[in-house]
Amino acid sequence: MTRAALITLAILAVGFVAAPFLLGGYELNVLMVALLYVILAVGLNLATGYCGQFSFAQGAFYGIGGYTAGILSRDVGTGFWMNLPAGIVVTGLFGLALGLPALRLKGHFLAIVTIAVQTLVYLGLVQWNSLTGGQNGLAVPPIGETTLFGVRLFEVTSLRDLYWVALVMAAVFVFIAWRLVHSRLGREWVAVREDETLAGAVGLNTTFAKLTAFVASAAFAGGAGVLNAHAMQGVTPDDFQIWISCMVVAMMVVGGRGTFMGPILGAIALTILPELTGELARYKMLIFGVLLVVCVTVAPEGALGRIRKARESRDQAASGRAPAKDPSEASA
Amino acid sequence: MDLFLQYLANGVVVGSSYVLVAVGLTLIFGILHVVNFAHGEFYMLGGYAGITASTAFGLPLPASLAVVAAVSCLLGLGAEALLHRGLKNQDQTSSIIASFGLAVALQNAVMVTMGPQPELMHTELAYKAIELGPVFLPAPRALIPPAMLIIVGALFAALRWTWTGRSLRAMAQHETVARLCGVKVRRVAVITFMLGATLAGVAGFMMSAVYMVHPLVGNMIVLKAFIVVIIGGMGSPLGAAAAGLLLGVIESMTSAYLTNGLRDVVGFLLVIAVLLFRPQGLFGRSLERS
Repeated sequence: MTRAALITLAILAVGFVAAPFLLGGYELNVLMVALLYVILAVGLNLATGYCGQFSFAQGAFYGIGGYTAGILSRDVGTGFWMNLPAGIVVTGLFGLALGLPALRLKGHFLAIVTIAVQTLVYLGLVQWNSLTGGQNGLAVPPIGETTLFGVRLFEVTSLRDLYWVALVMAAVFVFIAWRLVHSRLGREWVAVREDETLAGAVGLNTTFAKLTAFVASAAFAGGAGVLNAHAMQGVTPDDFQIWISCMVVAMMVVGGRGTFMGPILGAIALTILPELTGELARYKMLIFGVLLVVCVTVAPEGALGRIRKARESRDQAASGRAPAKDPSEASA
Repeated sequence: MDLFLQYLANGVVVGSSYVLVAVGLTLIFGILHVVNFAHGEFYMLGGYAGITASTAFGLPLPASLAVVAAVSCLLGLGAEALLHRGLKNQDQTSSIIASFGLAVALQNAVMVTMGPQPELMHTELAYKAIELGPVFLPAPRALIPPAMLIIVGALFAALRWTWTGRSLRAMAQHETVARLCGVKVRRVAVITFMLGATLAGVAGFMMSAVYMVHPLVGNMIVLKAFIVVIIGGMGSPLGAAAAGLLLGVIESMTSAYLTNGLRDVVGFLLVIAVLLFRPQGLFGRSLERS
């Protein structure tokens, strides 16, 4: 799996690096959105895929990140590079708050609380006029010039520049996710997913594991949200409805939850595929809905989950034959 | 005090529609363990079927109601095949995602065929009104609570005293044992989905004379129904009925005495509080959270 994942990642990286030299503005914009969704889906995969805590609130965290950037830019006048860590921290704290009910609830009960939280955040963004600008949202300045100690480093002006920022950010977040799931903490998440009672019994702090999974997952969305706010130069509540959360869940599930590459491929595929419908553009969402039903029905473990399962059963069949030989050798 | 009674009546009207939608949702969850996100679309399509039948084809109201019920039954049949039979042996979160897909597909199918503009059902009833002391209700609103009582009453009676109702309850208690006792599981599943879809469709039909119907109207309705189902205790139809009226009244009072902005928020706050402090719901008995 690791080697296959690395090869896939390398191919993707080459494709995404080559894209700005080959593609026009519209295609590049689609790819940038895909990168944002990669961050969201990879983040969600930490809590749901690895730690087994279902969440339909990723869109809310995406929004909280974006609004943190918007509010800071408006009231404090900070730029992108200050807003990014601020957005990640603020969203992480909200993730911690969402993690608290997760300590008591499981399965679809948890899913429904996260749906409630997602909707509350949306309604809050709409209603809290003085802070969020209500239905009209907030204007956010572009990333613009970046300076360090008064030295001008580079300037993000065109879509192409923005795309590079998105690509670097996505790469950093994917790398962090990779390190996380292969760390001790990541293994604790998997232990909690597989059997929470057992994980607790062998001395793991399941409370800590679950909370960190939620915080990490939210923080990823916060980072994506800040970038999105500066890229779109604005945020409105309607960009962060529950359908965004469901979309991210769909990307993770279609790609394969609990696999590393699955959510990445799912996010890219589900962002790009609807754009390829061309003539059928008005049926885009209709096709998306049908696809989702078909995917869940045919392969609930997702594309990569299906491949992994097939390989595991093959390995099992292979290793199943090996021990059968041992007794005959012993008797011989 | 007079205004209070009026707010109460308004709350009961809206609450009645919540009851109809939520009872179906909780039946589908309690009996089949399917978390049906497309339930709001049953409501939306009920509204559109009713408007099409009564306005475009000029059918009288009872005939339109029959059309709504027929369309809803078909929908329930299809939804059962997709969300229940199609997802056998999968974990319950699969049904959330599949039903989300179904919801998106149905919304956009309606968007493409009917257009995005909101529509209202026009009936001659709209010019009549009922006055009960200080409470004033236009006829289309006033009819909703009694209709809800009749429908839900008939449903509870059927659940209690008919063989079909008994097999539904048996399935809710224990699927394997029910199957061993000769309950036809397929049949129960289809009936449950048809019932749920019809209840929601009829609610959508009746409410289409009160509020505008548009392709995305189901989004908020399904969330409200989930609120009701959780507050009432998941899988408990009686709890859903009580909680539905409660939510309608609380929303009406919130918008009247606090601010209208909090109207949709209050339900979600209630849900979080209920799940944290009484996860089995206000009216639920068994404590099973996983």
